[in-house]
Amino acid sequence: MSEIAHQDHIEKKAFLVNSSSLKDVRVFCREVFEKLHIQEDLKEELVLAIAEAAQNIVKHAFKNSASPTELMVVQISCENNKLQIAFYDRGTPVDPKKVKHREIDNVKPGGLGTFFIQEIMDAVEFKDGKKPWINHLVLTKQL
Amino acid sequence: MTYKVEELNNVSIVHLNGEIDMDVADKARQTILPLIESGKSVQVNLSKVDYMDSSGISVLIEGKQLAEKKSTKFELIEVSKPVEKVLSMARKFL
Repeated sequence: MSEIAHQDHIEKKAFLVNSSSLKDVRVFCREVFEKLHIQEDLKEELVLAIAEAAQNIVKHAFKNSASPTELMVVQISCENNKLQIAFYDRGTPVDPKKVKHREIDNVKPGGLGTFFIQEIMDAVEFKDGKKPWINHLVLTKQL
Repeated sequence: MTYKVEELNNVSIVHLNGEIDMDVADKARQTILPLIESGKSVQVNLSKVDYMDSSGISVLIEGKQLAEKKSTKFELIEVSKPVEKVLSMARKFL
């Protein structure tokens, strides 16, 4: 847990649902985390977790075939030193029971993203998406 | 991401540069795997990679597994700090 009191802040941005947007998602996160004065090591871990969640939207919720104008929204908020990152998309509804990282002895490429997210964040929660959204994922981390 | 392939003493050294994510992982895959497939020893220099996500790690796992199948060498060299950090998280899978 950080000894620094991070200022309350909220910021959100919409991105096209495609793999080229992942770099823009990272840039956005780094900018917000700079404003929050989050230390470098933690900042890069958080950027990885967020980028993996965004990648899951592109890869799984839309199966790499979103329409060219389809959007996903990333919202980063910090309140009382608790960081919350919310994702909104209109892809295939996610069944939270099916979202788990693979077994440790199952060595094969792919499926590491969920493991990274769970390693880095304190909590991963799928909430009901309110219209027009279908999926609403919330990641939290106490700073 | 950019890359350069150098041949040195029968070893192909792939120098990767930049950020390796889902968007460019296929480019890395198509650079590294054919070298291993051809039976060459391959080293991947990661000194100039400043970000790697699970897609990049997947390419490295594929490289390792293909090298085992082909009985050739596959090594990571000069691993940058950001990549080392991600590898350390993924290590239990490697």
